[in-house]
Amino acid sequence: MNLYLNQIAAIVWKDFVTELKTRELLSAMFIFALLVILIFIFSINLSIVKASEVGPGILWVAFLFAGTIGLNRSFMLEKENGCLMGLMLVPADRTTIYFGKLISNLIFLSIMELFILPLFMIFFNIDLLSHLGPLLVVVFLGTLGFCALGTLLSSLSANLKTREIMLPILLYPLLIPIIIGAVRMTGQVLDGTELADMMKWIGLTASFDIIYIGVSIMTIDHILEE
Amino acid sequence: MNQETTEESNEESYILVWLTGIVFLVAMAAIFLYVPTEQTEGPVQRIMYIHIPSAWLSFFAFFIVFICSILFLWKKEREWDIYAYASAEIGVIFCSLVLITGPIWAKPIWGTWWVWDARLTSTLILWLIYVAYLMLRAQTDAGSMRARYAAVLGIVGFLNIPFIHFSVLWWRTFHPQPKVISSEGFGKGMETSMLITLGISLCAFTLLYFLLMGQRVRQEKLKDEIDSLKREQLYSS
Repeated sequence: MNLYLNQIAAIVWKDFVTELKTRELLSAMFIFALLVILIFIFSINLSIVKASEVGPGILWVAFLFAGTIGLNRSFMLEKENGCLMGLMLVPADRTTIYFGKLISNLIFLSIMELFILPLFMIFFNIDLLSHLGPLLVVVFLGTLGFCALGTLLSSLSANLKTREIMLPILLYPLLIPIIIGAVRMTGQVLDGTELADMMKWIGLTASFDIIYIGVSIMTIDHILEE
Repeated sequence: MNQETTEESNEESYILVWLTGIVFLVAMAAIFLYVPTEQTEGPVQRIMYIHIPSAWLSFFAFFIVFICSILFLWKKEREWDIYAYASAEIGVIFCSLVLITGPIWAKPIWGTWWVWDARLTSTLILWLIYVAYLMLRAQTDAGSMRARYAAVLGIVGFLNIPFIHFSVLWWRTFHPQPKVISSEGFGKGMETSMLITLGISLCAFTLLYFLLMGQRVRQEKLKDEIDSLKREQLYSS
């Protein structure tokens, strides 16, 4: 068990070191998310619509689009120079690759979200600080679901000819439940609803997360197979 | 495949063709001649006998994709991959039919082509998932990789259905709709003659599924055979 965790940690650490060296991903994700939010602000009239009603949707679209960049990169980077083959040759369970990638995607996306949230607060003039605890729980649940399914499908799409195009086409329809759930929950949190009052959404997103992590564990062997 | 089995399967498929044709004729007669016109909705309601069987057929086809995908990953036999592929194609076609006949029915009854009703929305999402499945298959070269990836997507996509169902159902309740498909469900409060017609139509569509499935699977197998013959020719010359 310890060895297994060490192997996962090694993959996560490798991704971190790569990111620290190249500094390509986080800044690109952050700027892209910011641009998405800006474009939405231009396309709606904030003096007519209520910011807390459209805000959560815009926030999650920004996370989704920026997250897709991260997902696309996570396995493409391995594909270049045949690093994926190297990872697969490691005498370790293939699920370690999945979990390593899942955790590094989750961390990168979370860091980006932590930078975006204050800006969101300023742009939309919504007070996030008073609901910070529940908000972080909700954002985590949504991001975990996104990464669980996204990591699986990006490992798949990395081997396709048209990988950047296919990933969103495969991923987005499957993510609709989690997007609806995350947007609803964020909206309710911003309206001051307690987490206990939206258990059905929390149950839905949490079971989505668990089921797709489970399915990924079972199917990743079939994807990473040469 | 030798000569004998080809003839045998041909004979079987002929029986199925005739059977499907006859049941379809009966279904058409029932829809347009036998069943009385619905009082409030008028003749347009007859589209229901195409709409519901198409929906049933597409869900059934997607379920078969799911089962065959699991069997493929388990057994790694090309056979299951072919079944999953054929079933997905049929499912997408009939799902498109549902999405086309739905608005035609909705326009005179609800007054709009489309409402973001739970059932409509989930059918649209389902259609998108399986179109992506077919695109994935078209993007990859024939071989083990395509079969494995498609199988994974077939499983992931089908497991998504309960999530789509609940999320869309709860999402919709925040947007009250003027009119929704009757909530007490189909079948209740329906005339016996209507139920019979619907039943015949369901039979006809189910037979059609097996007919199309058989043809498509045979076609795919012949394609494999041609490919292997070509390869043999290439290496022997």
